[in-house]
Amino acid sequence: MNTFAQMAVIAMAGSALGLAANALSPHPAVLRQAVLSAAEAGGGACAMPASETPAVSAPAPWRPARIGVEEAKGLCIACLAGFVDARGAHEYAHGHIANAVHLPPAGHPDELSAIAQLRTYPLVIVYDGEYSCAVADDVAGRLRRAGLTDVRVLQGAWPAWVASKGPSEAGICGVCGLEAVPR
Amino acid sequence: MKLVAAAARLLLGGLFLWASATKVPDMGAFAESVANYRIVPAGLVSVTAAMVVGVEILASVALIANVWSRGAALILAGLLAVFTVGLASALARGIDLACGCFGGNDPATWWTVLRDLVLLALALGVAASSRPAPSRPIAGTPDPSSIP
Repeated sequence: MNTFAQMAVIAMAGSALGLAANALSPHPAVLRQAVLSAAEAGGGACAMPASETPAVSAPAPWRPARIGVEEAKGLCIACLAGFVDARGAHEYAHGHIANAVHLPPAGHPDELSAIAQLRTYPLVIVYDGEYSCAVADDVAGRLRRAGLTDVRVLQGAWPAWVASKGPSEAGICGVCGLEAVPR
Repeated sequence: MKLVAAAARLLLGGLFLWASATKVPDMGAFAESVANYRIVPAGLVSVTAAMVVGVEILASVALIANVWSRGAALILAGLLAVFTVGLASALARGIDLACGCFGGNDPATWWTVLRDLVLLALALGVAASSRPAPSRPIAGTPDPSSIP
């Protein structure tokens, strides 16, 4: 049997075997059900875990509130929110939310002017690229300590933004124009 | 040389058999890993995930048994090429995802891409070493190279 025939037989028989294995699996994939990525599903990445909801009896440490991608996208397009990218420099350079300021956890040499710019927005949204959103939480806390009052973390992080096709760019500015004058 | 080729074939087969066997107990989780790559339509994710696991199992068994090794190695090379491109594409887009390679939840990194590239080279090497021997001329027919 020639190689292509071998490959075809292995692919077809293997596919059938896989479907049979799925049927026998203790936790099978539901074949008739669409499976969304964690970012598209909304709750998989960067969601506030149920166990971390604020306790009633004891004062909980400040945790930045989450904001959904669709709401954030509207604010971005209307230039009504400042965005902060908390990922690494390489990831930021490759692509980020339009007009986002890069503020990694280690700090930024021009952080004071960046924070001054962010202060002109009524709302600041921080995002990173991780499932846990730990980095974004960290940077959001830093901005809060710097005096910014309404700081939130993007639910679903950068993957959710990409999935929702939100405005993004690889340069410095985008929908708000080159001067990036915040309202 | 034959020993090295056999060792590479067994290594690749064993590795893929292990990788696929770890996915079978929780195919739902593997389907979620596939979905996170966002290269397969949501409605086809579960079927694709199940078929990938089955093809991995059969191809790895074929390699270990040394039956249709060339076809099996090329199938695995194709899968590895798709995995590598999917991983690299996701990482380049800043998508933070679990590899899903061995049924675990380890995050994918550029090291994962490098590992897949090494395995891809191994699969191609196994396919090349499994090339069927050239057919002998039938007795009584002239050797084509001797024809002026």
